[in-house]
This record gives sequence, C-alpha cells and structure tokens, in this order.
Amino acid sequence: MSAILQIAERVRSGQESATAIVERTLAALPQADAGLNAVTRLLPERALHEAALVDDIVAAGGDPGPLAGVPYGVKDLFDVEGLPTTAGSLLYADAPPAPADADAVVRLREAGAILVATLNMDEFAYGFATVNATHGTTRNPHDRTRLAGGSSGGCAAAVAAGALPFALGSDTNGSIRVPASLTGTYGLKPSHGDLPLGGTFPFADSFDDIGPFARDLTGLAIVWEVLSGRTTRLDPGELRVGRLGGRFRENADPFQLAAIDAIAPDAPFVDLPEIARARSAAFLITAYEGGMLHCDALARDPLAFDPAVRDRLLAGALLPEVLYREAQAFRAAYKAQVSALIAEFDVLLAPAAPCVAPLVKDPNILIDGARAPARSDLGIHTQPITFTGLPALAVPLYRPGQLPLGLQLVGRLHGEVELFRFAAMLEAQGIAGSWQPEGAASVDQQGALA
Amino acid sequence: MPRAKFIPSVDPFLLCLIGVVVAASLLPVRGGAADAVDIIANLAIALLFFLHGAKLSRAAIVQGIGNWRLHAMVFASTYVLFPLTGLASAALVQAWLNPVLVSGVLFLTLLPSTVQSSIAFTAVARGNVAAAVCSASLSNLAGIALTPLLVGLLMHTTGSTSGFDWQAVRGIVQQLLLPFLAGHFLRPVIGGFIDRNKKILTPVDRGSILLVVYSAFSAAVVNGIWDMLDLKDLGALVALSGVILAVIMVVNLMAAKAAGLPREDAIVLLFCGSKKSLVSGVPMAGALFAPAQVGMVLLPVMIFHQLQLFVCAWLAGRYARSAPPETEALDTALPPADAPRSDTPENAIAFAAEAAPAAAMPELATPAAVTTEPKATSSSGAQVPRTSDEIATAAAARGLTIPEECEPGLRENLAVLAGHAERLRG
Repeated sequence: MSAILQIAERVRSGQESATAIVERTLAALPQADAGLNAVTRLLPERALHEAALVDDIVAAGGDPGPLAGVPYGVKDLFDVEGLPTTAGSLLYADAPPAPADADAVVRLREAGAILVATLNMDEFAYGFATVNATHGTTRNPHDRTRLAGGSSGGCAAAVAAGALPFALGSDTNGSIRVPASLTGTYGLKPSHGDLPLGGTFPFADSFDDIGPFARDLTGLAIVWEVLSGRTTRLDPGELRVGRLGGRFRENADPFQLAAIDAIAPDAPFVDLPEIARARSAAFLITAYEGGMLHCDALARDPLAFDPAVRDRLLAGALLPEVLYREAQAFRAAYKAQVSALIAEFDVLLAPAAPCVAPLVKDPNILIDGARAPARSDLGIHTQPITFTGLPALAVPLYRPGQLPLGLQLVGRLHGEVELFRFAAMLEAQGIAGSWQPEGAASVDQQGALA
Repeated sequence: MPRAKFIPSVDPFLLCLIGVVVAASLLPVRGGAADAVDIIANLAIALLFFLHGAKLSRAAIVQGIGNWRLHAMVFASTYVLFPLTGLASAALVQAWLNPVLVSGVLFLTLLPSTVQSSIAFTAVARGNVAAAVCSASLSNLAGIALTPLLVGLLMHTTGSTSGFDWQAVRGIVQQLLLPFLAGHFLRPVIGGFIDRNKKILTPVDRGSILLVVYSAFSAAVVNGIWDMLDLKDLGALVALSGVILAVIMVVNLMAAKAAGLPREDAIVLLFCGSKKSLVSGVPMAGALFAPAQVGMVLLPVMIFHQLQLFVCAWLAGRYARSAPPETEALDTALPPADAPRSDTPENAIAFAAEAAPAAAMPELATPAAVTTEPKATSSSGAQVPRTSDEIATAAAARGLTIPEECEPGLRENLAVLAGHAERLRG
C-alpha cells in the first residue's frame, strides 16, 4: 500500500497522531541522511506546529485533508515562510526571510501535509548532478559512490532512501526526471505552467515547472491532485501508445530500450523532428535566461558563485539576444509541429536519463561515444520534451539489486491522467516500481510509519 | 529573487495620473513657478526620449522584419486607418464638442502604437510575439517623425484646431527626435546599464509623464478648463473613444480575415494596430500645442489609453482561453524573470489584468529580453563571442567584468553554446 496513503489514513482515522509521525520522521532523518547529503535544513519547530494543527482538526472531528500528517521536503528554491530562499547558493544564505510560503507549499499544507525539511540542489538549479559547493554532493541511496542526479537531487535521494514519503522539486530541463531515473523514484514534470510556481526561485522562465517525487505511484497521484486541483484515476484502459524513435533510441541503456519494446512491441515509432536542434535551442534559451537573471549579481561579485555554475551563467549572459530570439522562434514553430504530430497518442515512451547514475569521482557520461560532463548532458532525453511543454512522468523500471533506470512517459498537453493510468498498468505488471536501497533507512522501518 | 506571486492590483499609475490632474485642478502652478516647472518638464521629456531611444532594440526590429505584409498592415492601421477614423470622428462631433477636445481626439488617432502593452497582450492571447515586437517597435520608432508630420498636415488643414504651430515641428525635432537618436546611438555604450537598471529608471519615466501632465493641466486650469468642460463632454469622450476603438478592431479583424492571416498574426494586427501610446502622446502634445491647450488635448488620449487597456486585457484573456493547444507555443512572452506567469490559460487573465496597469505607462520599458543585447560580435551581430576581444566587448555591454579565474570555464562553456548555436542554425 502507498506509504503516503497509509499515513494519511491513520492520521485521518485517529489511529495515530500527526505529531507522533512527525517526531519520528524528524528523529530518523539525520540518520537516514548520513552519507547521503540530501537534507539542507530540518524544520522541527514548524513541522511540529503544523502537525499539532492537523491533530487539532482530527480531535475536533474534522478532516485535515488527503495528505493528513504526511511529512515531506522541498527543494531549496521554494519559499518557506521565515527562512531565506537560497536556491542552493551562498549568495542568498543571508537573504531576507520569505514573507510567506510558496503557493505549492500552501496547497500541501491545506491538504494536511507537514513540511519537515529543505533539500539539496545544484546551485540555482543549473545542473543534472546535485554537486553543490555549499552543501556538498548528494549521493545516490542505491550506491553512495554515485550521483543522485539533479538538480532536484536532494528530493530524489531523500525519497529513494525512504527518508521522506514525498518531496517537491523543480524541473527546468529534466531536473525531476533525471534524478528520479537515477534513484529509482517516480517524478512528474507537469504540462508547462500547470502547477503553481508562485514563491519559487526562478531559473529559466520559459521552462520552469515544479513537480513531486514519490516511491509509489498512488502517492504521487494524490500529491499531484492536491497541487493541480484535478483528479486522476489509476484504472487500466485503452490508451494509444507510441515509442519515441530516432535520437531517443541512441544514447540509452539497452535495458531501457528492451523495456520499451517489451511494454509496447507493436506500438509505432514516432520520430520527433530535429531533436538535436530542439535540445540546442533549449540549451541556448536556458543559458540566456539564466544568465540574464543573475547578470546583476555576476556583475557585483562573480566569485561568490559556485564556480561550475558561475562559468555557465557567465557564458549565458554573454549570448547575443538575437540568438536567443532565434531559439524562441524555433521553439514556437517546433511546439506546434510536435503537438500535431503526437495528437493521436496518449502516451509516448522514451528513456529518462541516458544511463545509470555516474560515479561521483568520475562525473562523466558517454554521449555518441564521447565523454561528456554529466552535469550538463544527463538531460539529453528530457530537454527536448521540456522544450515542447508536454507533461512527462518518470517511472522507475523495477529491477531490484541493480542500479535504477527510468523511462519517461510523455503525454499530450494536460494529459497527465493518461500518464498515471499507463504507469499504474506498468506497476501492476511488475515492470515499474521502486525498491528499497540496501542499507537505507526507510519510512516503514524507522521513519514516519514505524 | 523568488518568483512573484499573483496579487490582484489596481493600476497605480492610473491613480497617480488622476491624482496629478486633481492636484493641478486644486493647486495649479502659476506665473514664474509655472515657467520653472515648464523648463523642468521639457528637460524631463528630453530625458524620457533619450531613455526611450536607448531602450529600443534595433536587433528586435531587424529580427522580425521578414513578416513584411503583417507589419505593413499594422503600420497602415496605426497611420492610415486611425487617422481616417479620427478625421471622420472630428467631422461628426465638431459641431457640438469643444473644439480643443476635437483636436485631442484627432491628435490621439495620429499617435504611434505602444510597445510593451502591444507585446504583452499579444503574448497573453498566444499571438506571434516576435512579429509583435517588430511591428510595435517599428510603429513607435516611425511615430517620432510621422506623428508630428501628420499633425502638421491634418490638424492644420482641417481647421479642427487653433493653436497648432507648424514651427513646433522644429521643437519636436529638438526636444524629442534628437534626444531619442542620441540615446539610440549611444545604446551600445549605455544599453547594458539601462537594461540592468530598469527599476531605477522607471520612476524617471513615470515622473516625467506626471510632471508634464501636472504642468499641462495647471496651464489648462488657469485658462479655465473646468469651466469649459462638463460631465457631458467627458461622457462624450468616453463614448467616442469606444466607437473609435471598436471601428479599428472590427476593421482589423476583417482585414486579417480577408488577407488570410494565420491566427497568431491576426492577433498581432488586432493588438498592435489598435494601440495608441500615452507615453509618446504626452510629450508630443507638450511640444506641438500651445501650453494652455495641452491639458485638454491630452484628455482624449488619457481616456482612450485606459479604455484600450481594459478592452485588450479582456480580449486577450478570451483569446488565451480559446487558443488551440498547439498555439500555446507562443508562451514566449518574454516577461521579466520575476513577472507573474502568463503561460497557462488560467493565468492568462490574471496576467492580462496585471499587464494593463503595467502597460499604462512603461511602453518605454520593453521586456528585458527584448532590449538587452551585447555588442555585435560579427557582421551579423548574432554569434556567440569566442575570441578575447569578442568576450570583452560582450561582457562590457552587460556591465560584466570577467575575473581571470573564470576565463577557462567561461571559454569552455561558450564553446559548448557555440556548438548549440551552430546546430540550431542547421
């Protein structure tokens, strides 16, 4: 049963108090995080206060909501009232405290969820590695010599390790789907702009989105329902499935390709046009918007930035505007073309990250046979999807004992429900699913549900 | 720098404008003080146009110039259809409306289009943003010369005004065109500073307008504007503005259909072709008309400006809701990084509602991404800087200094971006 659903049911029915669950989670988190480096700030005072409010509602015979008493964490770029929003950077460590919670945090609070921690990320979300100069590198719970992926690596690692039932991250070019794939978790990048971005630190406005991570699909769907205000269902049904071909069949693990072919052996291949061009345009738009966003701070004190991020931002800030506009013009035409092309499909299958998690000591991957930095190239399959604004659900291929690999289920605009239904079918067939990393502390063993 | 949340707001600049008109009505500046305020206002106008010139991106115009048929239609709407509608309106109402107000109505139809609000509404409505940037910028640029010319030709000959002096065109050249050109040609030097300091410069923009309006209304009050006007006149102005706007929009919609324009381009024609710029209109009126008449000439402009914003905000929201999914492609509204999101149908209305107040004044402040532009690094001005000179030039244009320790990483990343640029361009 879904850990998220289980906690919420116990709290709503009065079997257990939210306070007890939160106290256990807070006590277990430091140990679960030891060696992972996923958590940046624990929020015990706030969490216990929120838990007490949930308990008061239950005591008064009310319903605190579908996420009653469920602890969760947020990537370091969400506003949390009373705390500086750092976006993983020392530059904002002493920023004025946020006057209010981010919109998404408000929605989760209103549904009874309890915020217990903020989580690690690449500085300003610029990377696929979660190698952070201030907080250190987040490790993969399945193999701590490997990266958890990024930029929402803290979210993915905390959830994969079972330290938190779910977490809220952001995805600008794959920052949810890449770490989800590398850590064996579910992660959703919604249709562009569908989930509330108010009160989050921006990166590249053209592509920024937020989304949840969870170890089970049912729980992920509940969180998405709360955030989006929409409803979903997980029953199987007739769905029109396609396999993304061309560039999506290159630079992928053979296991991913075999899984796609096994899932939908008769599904037609859909070749999105000019994938490489789309990714390049996405790269340029992201670089330009990120560079312009931080131009003032770069002018004031470039050396205050994380060196790896700084040089990328500086390069983006020097891009000519004309080139940026060319990329945007291409994007507009491309989105229209792709929407028409995929109109007859509910779900398109593609790899999420191109490989298993790279080693921390050698953070490189092979792209077209050549070594490329994981920090910038793990998003090779996610970036073109982001470019179209379509929703994509990262699902973990179930293969206990091995390093995680994930697929992307890509849907039509606002077609998240079909993605959830298809993923539920894969989970029911034993093709998709999370498993407990060896030696990791779990929610069930010593965390929220002990 | 967290992303801003949507907070419903009242147009603060509109409130300021009303406040200034009330202040000028209660406490008009007179005599020697009026002369001093005039001088300050004139200097403020020159500064305003200097900044306007510095902010206008030639690259944006060049970039989108290919869609010449659309630009020609927008241009014709602004400088042919509008003036014809103005002439017809003036002829219809001159028998019973105050002649200076009639001049104001005609004057408003001769003004250039706005830049920012045209682009913002086009973006909200999921229109062709790149073409809107080009069309609106072209119209605004051409208006510096065309509006005085049209005022000279039409208002002088129709007899609908007394008080316009053809010699004033010389004044407009000195007061508006020269500062504008100076600002524009200094853009490579000061553009980066101006783009980075919009928050500081906005009060200068707005302050200049408020000062001119105060000065103009003071003179008008001293000359008895409120004795000459009554509620009936104001009501007539609102109605007339509504009629003019409706005529322009209907004709543009029909023209778009007749020309077979795609939906995205029809939206550009509708929004860019129906706007008149308060920011251009206020200083131009100051330079073109006798001081005692400026206040009254500006009344129709102010009323029309607000009306167009309300109507367009509503229309843009309707377009956004009815946009087919594939046209959501055009969420490239290029809002400032901390602007409210406008790229979902749900948010479109909210953004449109906010765009109206934002657009009430700062047509000058074209979106950040439109106006920021490093110095050309090659003949096309669109290459990723690679050599030391190119990097230094691009960095200087952005106000950046590249520390020595950043250079290897920067060059490496620029090489990656150059590869992507090459791939993008095929």
